[in-house]
Amino acid sequence: MSELRLAGIIRESIVDGPGIRFVVFAQGCPHHCFECHNPDSWSFEGGFLATPKQIIEEMSKNPLLKGLTLSGGEPFCQSAAMAELAQAAHDKGFDVITYTGFTFEELLEKSLSSAEVLNLLKNTDVLIDGPFIKEFKSYDLNFRGSYNQRIIDVKMSLKKGVAVLMHI
Amino acid sequence: MITTIVKRDGREVPFNLEKISNAINKALQAAGMGDDKLALTLAAKVSKQASQESLAKSTAHTVEEIQDIAEKVLIDADLSKVAKAYILYRAERTRAREMNTRLMKTYEEITHRDSKESNLKRDNANIDGNTAMGSMLKYGAEGAKIYNEMYILKPEHAKANHDGDIHIHDFDFYTLTTTCCQIDIQKLFQSGFSTGHGYLREPNDIASYSALACIAIQSNQNDQHGGQSIPNFDYCLADGVRKTFARRYRENLVRALIFSVGREDCIEEKVREVSRTILTNLQLMPEVANNNGYITEEYRLLSDTFDTTLLKKAQAFSLTQALEETDRATFQAMEALIHNLNTMHSRAGAQVPFSSINYGTDTSPEGRMVMKNIMLATEAGLGFGETPIFPIQIFKIKEGINYNPGDPNYDLFKLACRVSAKRLFPNFSFIDAPFNLQYYQEGNPATEIAYMGCRTRVIGNVNDPTREIAYSRGNLSFTSINLPRIGILSSRSVAEFYTRLDDMINLCIDQLLDRFEIQCRKKVRNFPFLMGTAVWLDAEKLGPDDEIREVLKHGTLTVGFIGLAECLKALIGEHHGQSVAAQQFGLEIVSHMRKRMDEAAAKYKLNFSLIATPAEGLSGRFIEIDRKRFGSIPGVTDHEYYTNSFHIPVYYSISAYDKINLEAPYHKFTNGGHITYIELDGDPSGNLDAFESVIRCMKEKGVGYGSINHPVDRDPVCGYNGIIGDACPKCNRSDDEWPQFERIRRITGYLVGTLDRFNNAKRAEVRDRVKHLNVTESSRGMETL
Repeated sequence: MSELRLAGIIRESIVDGPGIRFVVFAQGCPHHCFECHNPDSWSFEGGFLATPKQIIEEMSKNPLLKGLTLSGGEPFCQSAAMAELAQAAHDKGFDVITYTGFTFEELLEKSLSSAEVLNLLKNTDVLIDGPFIKEFKSYDLNFRGSYNQRIIDVKMSLKKGVAVLMHI
Repeated sequence: MITTIVKRDGREVPFNLEKISNAINKALQAAGMGDDKLALTLAAKVSKQASQESLAKSTAHTVEEIQDIAEKVLIDADLSKVAKAYILYRAERTRAREMNTRLMKTYEEITHRDSKESNLKRDNANIDGNTAMGSMLKYGAEGAKIYNEMYILKPEHAKANHDGDIHIHDFDFYTLTTTCCQIDIQKLFQSGFSTGHGYLREPNDIASYSALACIAIQSNQNDQHGGQSIPNFDYCLADGVRKTFARRYRENLVRALIFSVGREDCIEEKVREVSRTILTNLQLMPEVANNNGYITEEYRLLSDTFDTTLLKKAQAFSLTQALEETDRATFQAMEALIHNLNTMHSRAGAQVPFSSINYGTDTSPEGRMVMKNIMLATEAGLGFGETPIFPIQIFKIKEGINYNPGDPNYDLFKLACRVSAKRLFPNFSFIDAPFNLQYYQEGNPATEIAYMGCRTRVIGNVNDPTREIAYSRGNLSFTSINLPRIGILSSRSVAEFYTRLDDMINLCIDQLLDRFEIQCRKKVRNFPFLMGTAVWLDAEKLGPDDEIREVLKHGTLTVGFIGLAECLKALIGEHHGQSVAAQQFGLEIVSHMRKRMDEAAAKYKLNFSLIATPAEGLSGRFIEIDRKRFGSIPGVTDHEYYTNSFHIPVYYSISAYDKINLEAPYHKFTNGGHITYIELDGDPSGNLDAFESVIRCMKEKGVGYGSINHPVDRDPVCGYNGIIGDACPKCNRSDDEWPQFERIRRITGYLVGTLDRFNNAKRAEVRDRVKHLNVTESSRGMETL
């Protein structure tokens, strides 16, 4: 089983998607957004290691959880392990939201050469994409930091080959 | 021979033998052997002995020294009974003197200190201790407390209350009135009522329904020391909506007809007459649902006079128009109610009335209109968009009515979640919890559980089991036990703990009965509104000079507790959030207390109940005394407050699910009232799914009454409403600039708009509250595995 390198977890969050969610923060991020909330998660060293099984076990303790949110850090820098975790979450009936600093289009291109990226996309219900851009920052956005970020229905988008936006 | 004596204030005055003789004679009389001569002889002995002793010292005797000698003389004379009486007499006098000093010191504090520095003046966060009337109320309250302690309480009750073994709530009102009441305003409004100052006719419009509801609450507040609740807000105000709708319909029909056919043939009179006829013959009025046959009957009776096509059109127009206007009028009435309840004065002007309203189960279109609009008005806020502090709103959840998709009022439950996520109210009560469901009779709203203010619950009735209802009853008085102290004193022995606990419960029952007796001897005329207008059950059977005993038997006498968590810590080293064994023991303790209340209820045929105490001043008072007495004990006395009732300590990190799961089982034991809170550190408005899932979890776990706390901050300059740190996220204004940000927090069930009015212990508690659901970025505590 693959291992996740994580910056941390939050057992109950209400700002990382609808309902009460378990959040996993990937350790390691290539984007380095200006005024990032989480600069400690940039380095690809550090953090701690955990298996998807461990995460699912922790999630099972809390019947209030609606779903799993993958955040970071950049989850798509560890697509294989993240996809495994996302699939295990789906098996338990949780939905999966993934935050990424890449755009959907970039990921779609990566997925042509990387089965792992495609696998994580396929195991994500909702993708919130794009880097945080300080000039577009707003407090009126639900579940997003800046206007450029989009909420994407991944299943529909993969079917149509273009980003299909949705409301959550 | 002694010639002078030093008084307590330090003055040296001539020695007076007669004074000593008088005091001794009082003691002789108390022992049943009063005798002037003997008294004088004994006084002479005291004087002689004092002279002998004074040879050995250079200064004159003090009063206390002379009294010590008097005690010795009495004992030496083999008058032990008299000596005892003398000692008691002396102790009483000392207590009286100390009391006087204490009273004057207290008055000095009220007079000269700003409430920012005075914890005493922030005893109750809803009273502004800085105002003239707030101070006046404090003079009265503090004076009454000292009088009650000295002259009313049995010495053992006074000692327990003074030492902090127990806390007698609303002690200033000890001899005056009762705690709280659920007002059946539907009954009150029928045929009008008097406030004690003037008579009000039955209201005929939603606007006057709302105004009179406020007046009822205000009048009630002035007859009692606690809060007042309307258990049937939706059902009663729906009547006002009905009347408004019927009138607006008629007015619109008249206008439509006049517009079409001109001002002839006395159209208005005709429409009115038909409307009266239908009311008399069929008891029908036009209704929002429009399925009672009124419109058809009206059509039949008017079709001779008007063109039928026109009439049909006019009726349809009037129905639509009336609905729209009534909805708007209802919103305005609800807005007015909220404004009134946040601004009206009571109790010498120092407080707004402590008001609560319960609603949620009326499925009629009119009842639904009331609920929709009271919630929309709450969401809109006060004049500048501020969060309303009153009334406390309680949304009653019931399966089949509003809990699941498809239930007729499910949309209102959704709305309740949305409004509560923004404004902290409504709270949620759960009719389906087994201990509430046992009273529920479908179609009888009086049997639906209703809560008062912070958490008080009154429904069971051993005095009259045929009337186990929420309406027209309330709590009479309550006294809380300092559980942590009993835990500390029992030195880890469970057997000793229960012995001590039982002793304390016995003392509380005895004290509650004493207070009940004082209350019972009051007359109807002492309570012009409560009893005079028969707000209480059966009060209509009494005359103005009758004692209110029989009526009060419907009320509850309640024992409360504080600090189960610290008590468990002291006894077994863990609180109930920390281990299964501690939870088990916690439940045993609380169920034992409940059992004792049930036994007392059966024995006295009075409604003894157990409450999870809402502690305000108390949370800091008990722990302060205990820390002085026992020192700082980790997890027990080392905080600034004891934890409320059965709550998991606010500083203990725990998931929302676990907290609900652990606290829920205590609700069934605490039949006098309870509440469970979940803390959020941010604005849940953006995630109502999460909000609703917490409420649903409470319901599924058997919670009776619950709510979600989250900070509600507002910048009065730019109007931003949400979480504000040191600076407003919208306009960047800093917290140091004037005017300051408003920060609404919940304290013992009531919302308070400014942290200034919190007492010290509560400030510390609010500071320490660990959030159960993570929201804001800045405070996100990530964990590792």
